[in-house]
Amino acid sequence: AAASPMPAYSTPAAGAPGAQAPVAADKGAGAVEAAGNPLNTSGPTADAAAPGYTPMKPTPGIGMPVDGGIGLQKQFSPFGEYGRWIHDIVLIPLIAAITVFVLALLVWVAVRYNRRANPVASRTSHNTLLEVAWTLVPVLILVCIAVPSIDLIAKQYKPAPKSALTIKITGNQWFWSYGYPDNGDFEVNSYMLNLPGQPVINAGVREVGSKPWDGPSHMEVDNRLVVPAGEPIRLQITAADVIHSFAVPSLWFKLDAVPGRINEKVLFIEKPGVYYGQCSELCGVKHGYMPIAVEALPRAQYNAWVLGHPGGLIDGQKKLIDATAQAPAAGAGETAVPADNASEAVPAVETTSSPAA
Amino acid sequence: MATTADHFQGHVDDHHGHADHDHKPGFFARWFMSTNHKDIGTMYLIFAIFAGVIGGAVSGIMRAELMHPGIQYLGAVASFFGDDASDFNATLHMWNVLITAHGLIMVFFVVMPATIGGFGNWFIPLMIGAPDMAFPRMNNISFWLTFAGFCSLMMSAFVPGGLGNGAGTGWTVYAPLSTYGSTGPAVDFGIFALHLAGAGSIMGAINLITTIFNMRAPGMTIHKMPLFVWSVLVTAFLLLLALPVLAAAITMLITDRNFGTTFFDPAGGGDPVLYQHLFWFFGHPEVYIMILPAFGMVSQIISTFSKKPVFGYLGMAYAMVAIGVVGFIVWAHHMYTTGLSVNTKMYFTAATMVIAVPTGVKIFSWIATMWGGSLEFKSPMVWSLGFIFLFTVGGVTGVVLANGGVDDVLHDTYYVVAHFHYVLSLGAVTALFAGFYYWFPKMSGRMHSEFLAHVHFWIFFIGVNLIFFPMHFLGLQGMPRRYPDYAEAYTHWNQVATVGYMIMAVSIVIWFINILYAFTAGKRAEGNYWGEGATTLEWTLSSPPPFHQFETLPVIEDAGHH
Amino acid sequence: MAGSKTHDYHILPPDIVPLATTFGALMFTTGMVLLMHKMPGGHFVPWLGVAILLAGMFAWFSKIVKEAHAGDHTPVVQLHQRYGMILFIASEVMFFVGWFWAFFDFSLFPSTLAESVAGQWPPKAIEAVMDPFDLPLLNTLILLCSGTTVTWAHHALIHGDREGLKKGLWATILLGVLFTCIQAYEYVHAPFPFGANTYGSAFYMATGFHGFHVLMGTIMLIVCLVRSYRGDFTPRQHFGFEAAAWYWHFVDVVWLFLFVAVYVWGGWGYPTH
Ligand code: HEA
Ligand code: HEA
Ligand code: CUA
Ligand SMILES: [Cu+2]
Repeated sequence: AAASPMPAYSTPAAGAPGAQAPVAADKGAGAVEAAGNPLNTSGPTADAAAPGYTPMKPTPGIGMPVDGGIGLQKQFSPFGEYGRWIHDIVLIPLIAAITVFVLALLVWVAVRYNRRANPVASRTSHNTLLEVAWTLVPVLILVCIAVPSIDLIAKQYKPAPKSALTIKITGNQWFWSYGYPDNGDFEVNSYMLNLPGQPVINAGVREVGSKPWDGPSHMEVDNRLVVPAGEPIRLQITAADVIHSFAVPSLWFKLDAVPGRINEKVLFIEKPGVYYGQCSELCGVKHGYMPIAVEALPRAQYNAWVLGHPGGLIDGQKKLIDATAQAPAAGAGETAVPADNASEAVPAVETTSSPAA
Repeated sequence: MATTADHFQGHVDDHHGHADHDHKPGFFARWFMSTNHKDIGTMYLIFAIFAGVIGGAVSGIMRAELMHPGIQYLGAVASFFGDDASDFNATLHMWNVLITAHGLIMVFFVVMPATIGGFGNWFIPLMIGAPDMAFPRMNNISFWLTFAGFCSLMMSAFVPGGLGNGAGTGWTVYAPLSTYGSTGPAVDFGIFALHLAGAGSIMGAINLITTIFNMRAPGMTIHKMPLFVWSVLVTAFLLLLALPVLAAAITMLITDRNFGTTFFDPAGGGDPVLYQHLFWFFGHPEVYIMILPAFGMVSQIISTFSKKPVFGYLGMAYAMVAIGVVGFIVWAHHMYTTGLSVNTKMYFTAATMVIAVPTGVKIFSWIATMWGGSLEFKSPMVWSLGFIFLFTVGGVTGVVLANGGVDDVLHDTYYVVAHFHYVLSLGAVTALFAGFYYWFPKMSGRMHSEFLAHVHFWIFFIGVNLIFFPMHFLGLQGMPRRYPDYAEAYTHWNQVATVGYMIMAVSIVIWFINILYAFTAGKRAEGNYWGEGATTLEWTLSSPPPFHQFETLPVIEDAGHH
Repeated sequence: MAGSKTHDYHILPPDIVPLATTFGALMFTTGMVLLMHKMPGGHFVPWLGVAILLAGMFAWFSKIVKEAHAGDHTPVVQLHQRYGMILFIASEVMFFVGWFWAFFDFSLFPSTLAESVAGQWPPKAIEAVMDPFDLPLLNTLILLCSGTTVTWAHHALIHGDREGLKKGLWATILLGVLFTCIQAYEYVHAPFPFGANTYGSAFYMATGFHGFHVLMGTIMLIVCLVRSYRGDFTPRQHFGFEAAAWYWHFVDVVWLFLFVAVYVWGGWGYPTH
């Protein structure tokens, strides 16, 4: 394997991904050992870079799969609620009914027309009315499905308002980088936390479960994608090497990160919380190990998080952080501060005020 | 298409000048130089079973690995293929190699060779009353090229393919993971495997179309052909028109990889999504290539064991034509998340759903065929009933995926894996077993055990449902495909699936015991061992049929006028 | 067979050629992998494979010719061959659909992110394209002309004019060779490289595969010429010739599409070389 390394990519930065891929002549020239992409070892930055920011503790079962779950994850975006409605209320009953109908017919013919029950076979092989019926009825059913379905697609494609916050997402082998062009253009790399008892996957990254706010294994990362909740966000997605796919099931979001293209879509998260997803396009050996964790914060805390970054700006300015307005004041139970995945019945455990453990 | 039957009617002039071939050629000549459609069909079937065992074993390794979170067995598998066992990247790479090999083997080297190469070769000439295929020599190279493709794929497993041995691109071979994302010779071997097998399939398609158009027995008009013949005819057209586009696409992969072109390399303005368009323009027709012959076999079987002609024959035939035609204009439903424009996405959503209509015509016509019939539950019939139900389950989840807005959450999750295994592993393969039990005594001259065939069915049925039904749950919960490892929450249903695999495996053993039984203790099969319901021409011949059948062409009377 | 055969189909004896040809094909692809990855054997295995492949094809087609002489090609068998050839050409058409698809994707939606393309077609990095009304136009005329000469040969054959047949074939072959030479000259002098960006990729691969087909067609015609010197083909039975002619017309039509799309439309308003 060492004889055939992945090509080295000069920079993971967003912008012109096409230019980053090696030109044809250089293919395979950058010798990288089996450790993989050099970024992989040099990339991880310290956790929770912003001072005064403590990652939110996720609520079990919210924004993530549940043990033995059998349905769609609970949704936290308008499209998600609509989509889930289409699936649960329109599609599932219809396809279940069709399947049961076919099964019932099969059982019926087996019982009624087996050799003992019906020794002499009829010779009927035509019935125009019947044939027209079983052509038209499915057409009608499909029309019933198509109407909301097409409507959902139309809604999903409404562009974000001009003023919406833009975030650039770049898929890399095998981590995500998140750029904040509207907030001073700083960038965050996001790696999966290592799994206890398994070989090291990302050198320099801690193990999952070593901090109180860590979510499920295979899904928690060192640096989450932090976004404001309750407002439309424009996500611009691309990739620096091969195709990846940015997917968060509980936000009804999946869009491929294609090198040489910038795909754009609106994300609207209704409630503050942590929402997990995973890379959803085969991208090489660690395709299974480049999860996504989106942490949605109320605008004020988002701003504070931004300003905590070197070079972080709000409205083009580096505002002084007022110590009282800043996190320490926001004690547990404060109304404006979400405890965690702020779905109704969630007790406030960790807050933004708690010092980093 | 006007029949050419009158062309040969009454043509009885002797045509000498050939050696006498009444007896079979010697072993080598018979099996390595064959120009006999039945022998070539047999070779295809044996090859498909062999490849099926390998593809099934690979999926067994996959299911074992997925029984628990974490990585358990991949390291051992990787070192078997010559990787350094302590290299975790090579270990993870092995997962991608396994799923790629599994997908490619099952699609190109099990289902296609079995349905088209095996049953198609055997029964198309028999059913239309022809003595052989139109191009017997080309028939032979079709088989050998398929075999050569398989050899090329096997070679790829032992050479470097990036961070470990073997091609780890997925069966879809998406660029640029398959170009600058996978250095080393493995992917080139894999691509050439598709070139070779594809060339064989194109020649097979030309052969089948020509045979069906030109070699029908006198009186067998196109509207009197058995539905299996119709299904293979449509399939052959799909192969003929879809495979060359794949050939072009994978040739672009080869030149991007090795000769500096930039078809899919963004640095030179190339477009990775172009590859996906080209692949799926082939890939979607390909899934109907795998299922249409299954439809055809099931139609024959249902009719036989209902002792009734197929209900709505013309509707059944043209439904397949419609599926074939519409199948060419729905490809981008595999690409909803690549960033298609809104209109494109709406179009493909609507177009894809249309296919449910002709497919529904088929399902309901099968049921109507049984309606009023006198059903006999011989093993092929039981397998066919299983097919109808399981295919319906897979089909309706296809309709769910067809909705572009809903597919946003389901794409590349186990929901898709569940969908396509219901139509393939539970659909196409179930129909394969139905066809196998239907025709095995005809081909071998020996009766299998009906008891074992039923046991095989029930255990298989329970096993595969346990494997694949829970995958819908995993998919809805968000578990992505092509992952060797997963979050704890997904453990439960993965375990159920793996247990299902073990049950299914038992049924495969029973199947082999049954074959063994047939060859050692099975009764000799009569010409028409299924009785009055079996009316197509192969039942007028002995079991097995003579080495060269229909030396005097059968004449189809104009009786069943409709 | 067996004397008792009462139909006109062609039942063949066992034959080793398909297996041997396949062996050549597998050896060629395997050898190409060795060659492309500079592995041992790469410098001879693919060529040995091609040699076996070509020998297999030669043996195969020789047999078909012999069988034709033996009278095995009854009217229905000839009908098979017609179907076979038409279907083969249909599959070839679909192969070119793939290359045209790539060309139109690149030319209608040029990448804005790759610097060498910069959202324009022909891409920014391309300084000049070929003047379509120079050698390419000449080549178009040559191919169109060769379409008429092959028809001339066909008419001559049907009317029993053996000399006309040979002349027509000679003319067609020479025109074909001339086309290939001009094409080769153009490749050598083209103002843009093979790799580097989508223009070169789409241009050379599409025209290159066309050129490869011209070569195959020329070989078919040469075979026909040799056969016509040997007295093959009758006014009533000459499918080998017809197949070559069909193929030639197909190659011709592909060129017209290439000329209009790639050369004329694809380089419109651009500095030419
Ligand atoms: C035999 C193979 C086969 C067959 C027959 C089908 C049949 C169908 N498939 Fe499937 N499909 C695959 C094999 C197949 N598929 C494979 C292999 C993949 C994944 C490839 C990969 O990514 O690796 C895939 C993926 C796939 C996708 C992409 C999912 C994704 O990646 O996100 C979609 C989306 O539209 C889809 C849709 C359909 C539809 C609508 C049908 C329809 O043809 C189904 C029609 C049938 C019925 C609907 C049931 C019977 C009808 C009735 C009883 C009438 C009444 C019904 C209604 C009114 C609904 N399929
Ligand atoms: C025809 C196609 C086919 C068949 C039969 C199967 C059969 C099986 N598949 Fe496969 N599968 C695919 C096609 C198929 N699969 C494809 C295309 C993919 C996607 C690959 C990718 O992502 O790139 C996939 C992926 C895939 C995955 C997902 C991997 C991942 O995403 O990480 C899994 C996981 O469990 C799986 C499991 C199984 C299992 C347990 C079976 C079992 O049912 C197998 C049991 C064995 C048999 C049923 C016997 C098979 C047949 C014969 C022995 C021959 C019979 C012949 C005659 C009767 C003549 N498959
Ligand atoms: Cu990144 Cu999969
Ligand atoms: Cu499809």
